[in-house]
Amino acid sequence: MNAARAQVEPIVGRYLNLELLGRPHRLYVEEAGQGIPLLCLHTAGSDTRQWRGMMNDAELLRDFRVIAFDMPWHGKSSPPAGWQSEAYRLTASDYSAMTLAVADALALDKPVVMGCSIGGRIALVFAIECPERFRAIIGLQSGATIDPYYELTWLHHPSVHGGEASAAYVSGLMAPTSPATERWETLWHYMQGGPGIFKGDLYFYRGADGDIRERLAGIDTKRCPLYLLTGEYDYSVSPQDTQLAADRIAGVKFSVMPRLGHFPMSENPALFLSYLKPVLAEIKARG
Amino acid sequence: MTRYSFWAKVRPAMTLPLDVLAQRAKGDGLLARFGRDLDLALIVGDGDLDWLVEIERGVVARVTRGPLIMPRSDLRMRAASETWARFLEPVPPPGYHDLFAMRRYRRIQIEGDIRLMSAYLFYIKRLFELLRPREAGA
Repeated sequence: MNAARAQVEPIVGRYLNLELLGRPHRLYVEEAGQGIPLLCLHTAGSDTRQWRGMMNDAELLRDFRVIAFDMPWHGKSSPPAGWQSEAYRLTASDYSAMTLAVADALALDKPVVMGCSIGGRIALVFAIECPERFRAIIGLQSGATIDPYYELTWLHHPSVHGGEASAAYVSGLMAPTSPATERWETLWHYMQGGPGIFKGDLYFYRGADGDIRERLAGIDTKRCPLYLLTGEYDYSVSPQDTQLAADRIAGVKFSVMPRLGHFPMSENPALFLSYLKPVLAEIKARG
Repeated sequence: MTRYSFWAKVRPAMTLPLDVLAQRAKGDGLLARFGRDLDLALIVGDGDLDWLVEIERGVVARVTRGPLIMPRSDLRMRAASETWARFLEPVPPPGYHDLFAMRRYRRIQIEGDIRLMSAYLFYIKRLFELLRPREAGA
């Protein structure tokens, strides 16, 4: 045993017991760093491990307290009691209410919120509905709607391994230049997802419930700065899709991230941080 | 409109080097991991040229160059040669870098047993990746 070479990461994980949507829940929450709270929302069908690169970046952790939680049914968070008789389906209102409840339970003071994919969509919902709750909003792979290009049936079917199918369906969303180790780590999280959970998240993402095209003009970026960053290899929410949303929002700051795809923070953490840090520096400078 | 020519159909232009697929697939760890118990007759369309790729118990057993005469198939994936050419680039451009990316932009036709495709999608994607120059001998 070589204890001298072992390294303990700065990430600390705990369980939070709270009521969400009128029912008791047990959620897994992890964090690292200190300073401005930065609440991070993972993608559909995945969990907090997507943010491991950020939570291990010493420079970032000097100024930001990076916090992430596994949504109910995801990662190490449990589904609510009685789940065995229910079908999981995420809605915009439930997703928003849960995220705000977690921020309240953790007593976060005007956090920066950053979400990716479905998290990037709900970030736009926050910009529409409650910008005053946040210091800044960052949407990764944010779009107001998506153009469906595959059938969901086989993501949750007794004759197909849902984890492997879900991972394979999303595998091409990453840039081919992203490191293989990080890409396959990202896919492992999908393979470990609970049965039907990725599909249940997509109910929000692909359905009418999550289509916010007509609401974007109501965003006032003077009340809360809004940043959108999109990886160029993403074809679920392509740079063009984010541009279409950005065109309807006055004052939004949108940039394309070359050589990244749909999971920027997880598929290539180092490259993603090079795009994110100037945004965080700007937010920090605003105070 | 030119008259139909049998001879013109015999050797149409080919972009995908499917003739080397069986060799490149040998000993590939990813195919071995994700191809458990797979039997699949896959038609790959490269422009006007169809190929039949037959997988037996996860192994590329036969690859037959068209023209094919009424072949049995489970799955058919067809794209223009120009699309495959971009897919094969060592670092393919966005929208051409993955079968589903091509599907998203309607550059590939996918039809057949979608359940089987979903169950073995990692394997199927890997077959196509092996056709890229950088994957040769990797």
